[in-house]
Amino acid sequence: MISYLARRLLVALLTIFVVVTISFFMVRLMPGNAESYLENQLIQQGGLSSAQIQERVNALLGIEPKAPLWKQYFQYLRDIVHGNLGHSMINPSTSVLHVVGNALPWTLFSVGVALLISFGLGVVGGTIMAAFADSFVGRFLTLVVSFLTAIPNYLIAIVLLYLIADRYHLLPSQGAYSVDTSPGFNLPFVGSVLSHSVLPIASYVITAWGGWALSMKGCVVNTLGADYVRAAESWGLRRRRVTQSYLGRNSMLPMVTSLALSLGFMVGGSVFIETYFSYPGMGFYLIQAVNSRDYSTMMGCFLVITVSVVVANLAVDLFYPLVDPRIVSPIGRKQSETDIDVGSGVVVGPGPVSATSGAAR
Amino acid sequence: MKLLRDLGRICWSDKSSLFGGLVLLVYIFLAIFGSSIARLTSTENPAAAFLPPGRGHILGTDFYGRPILPQLILGTRPIMEVAVLSGIMVVFIGVVVGLASGYKGGSVDYLVMRFVDVILTIPGLPLIIVISAVVHSANPFVLAGILSVTGWAGLARAVRSQALSLATVDFVEAARIQGLPLRNMISKQLLPNVGPYVAINFLLAINGAIYALVGLFLLGVAPVSGTNWGTMINLAMSQGALYSSSSIYYLFAPMAMIVLLHMAFIFFSRALDRLFNPRLRVA
Repeated sequence: MISYLARRLLVALLTIFVVVTISFFMVRLMPGNAESYLENQLIQQGGLSSAQIQERVNALLGIEPKAPLWKQYFQYLRDIVHGNLGHSMINPSTSVLHVVGNALPWTLFSVGVALLISFGLGVVGGTIMAAFADSFVGRFLTLVVSFLTAIPNYLIAIVLLYLIADRYHLLPSQGAYSVDTSPGFNLPFVGSVLSHSVLPIASYVITAWGGWALSMKGCVVNTLGADYVRAAESWGLRRRRVTQSYLGRNSMLPMVTSLALSLGFMVGGSVFIETYFSYPGMGFYLIQAVNSRDYSTMMGCFLVITVSVVVANLAVDLFYPLVDPRIVSPIGRKQSETDIDVGSGVVVGPGPVSATSGAAR
Repeated sequence: MKLLRDLGRICWSDKSSLFGGLVLLVYIFLAIFGSSIARLTSTENPAAAFLPPGRGHILGTDFYGRPILPQLILGTRPIMEVAVLSGIMVVFIGVVVGLASGYKGGSVDYLVMRFVDVILTIPGLPLIIVISAVVHSANPFVLAGILSVTGWAGLARAVRSQALSLATVDFVEAARIQGLPLRNMISKQLLPNVGPYVAINFLLAINGAIYALVGLFLLGVAPVSGTNWGTMINLAMSQGALYSSSSIYYLFAPMAMIVLLHMAFIFFSRALDRLFNPRLRVA
């Protein structure tokens, strides 16, 4: 147990460290980097001497020009640890942490709800598809699911915008809540938040549940032929008990593993969906920062997106031994580890194999 | 050759795979010969803007009065080119890292696998967006490299565990005892057994690259250059296509191209799956 936890924690910390390092070197060393861009911008504005411009750029980027690179790097690390993400380059008066702090709850809310809904729908749909594989319902569901997994989430968002928001004005399409309501725990505000979240969440769910359903179907079909299921049936155990305790629980195992992986993918999708629905989450601000070349906000958003995915992954990892005790017991460890390894990332194995997994996961 | 014949047979018996394969062939044809079929009219003709489908413009016209169909055809190459390049990169890195890690074992394997864990945890799309925002290049090789930055990790892990389990299989042991050279070990003993993963993951990687690449053009993160489906949708959206039904063809035609391509990939990868995994053919 301890070594399992230690290994997971190590990977989580390592990931954060790698991402922080990437973001440090990217803004400083990449071709066409932030520094020269900012300089040009200030030169165009005019009215400043070149020394002043250099000073301003350094202050904005947190660069001390005389310090060696490694020293700057450690300074950067220390700032990050203290939660200091710097200031926005476009509005130097707002701190990046402030922007991120306001945006994060919206993304967590919409992506979290969407993940739960699509997971639930997928498990139900996949079980139906496996149980009635040869009937009309099964075939029809499989066809629908294959079609849905082929549609990228941004196209779904555009179609929803076109049909529901602009054609028929059924639901609000912009922002996270109506400006008429006052934020707080009151009925109009909560209602407004919910109605504004319907379209973004629907965009996630429509594209994601098909992947879940397909992988659940695969898992159930795989478990269906397992010896212990056949044994349970031949003992004369009741159908329901076999389905729930023998089929269900064992089929769910690989699904929980891919929950963690798919989380990162969904958060990635938020970039498109939040942009199209002007939903003020992390993805929305990330793209805004990219388009306005606000590198400090951009890297801040990226860091926080990554850290939240890492934390969620860690939570799933901690939760996993409850579902599958084999993973922490020394005897079963080898076996279950290879099972998971084969499962993730391969089309024949379980995992949300949508059209869009692969490179962008 | 036998493999090709099997593939043909599988496709013939499963019509959806056949459909996928044929559609893929059409896209490949368009990507290679598109520029000699279609010509992009550079003359702007505002009087003919947003025409519905008709003679001379089968899918209608855009807001400059240019026909849409040639743009769709010409838009195939830039997307396919980068996506296939990215697929090759993903597969190459994934297989090399996976095989080497599994074959070496020990502490090298441990370190490499922890690194793979790290890459798998980083959300790919935000990283791709951030890198392409900083690099800001339209070079197909650079774009493909950016798109492959996280994609190889999943494949590397799968190939590595496959290599691990292969290392203890009887025929590999027999080959080792016979003292066959490393070249033979890799090409004759190991590769045929990881081949299925590789082939299917190649298609999946291309698919993922198309998704991310079109997304980059949609958001305007990758530099807008030439004609491709992502920029078309981007332009349509910024010209207010959502608010008027007249430009609906300009918005939805490239979307249909993308969805059709994704479906073709999924259906065709199913045929490949059957080809390499005979157990599935019975079911």
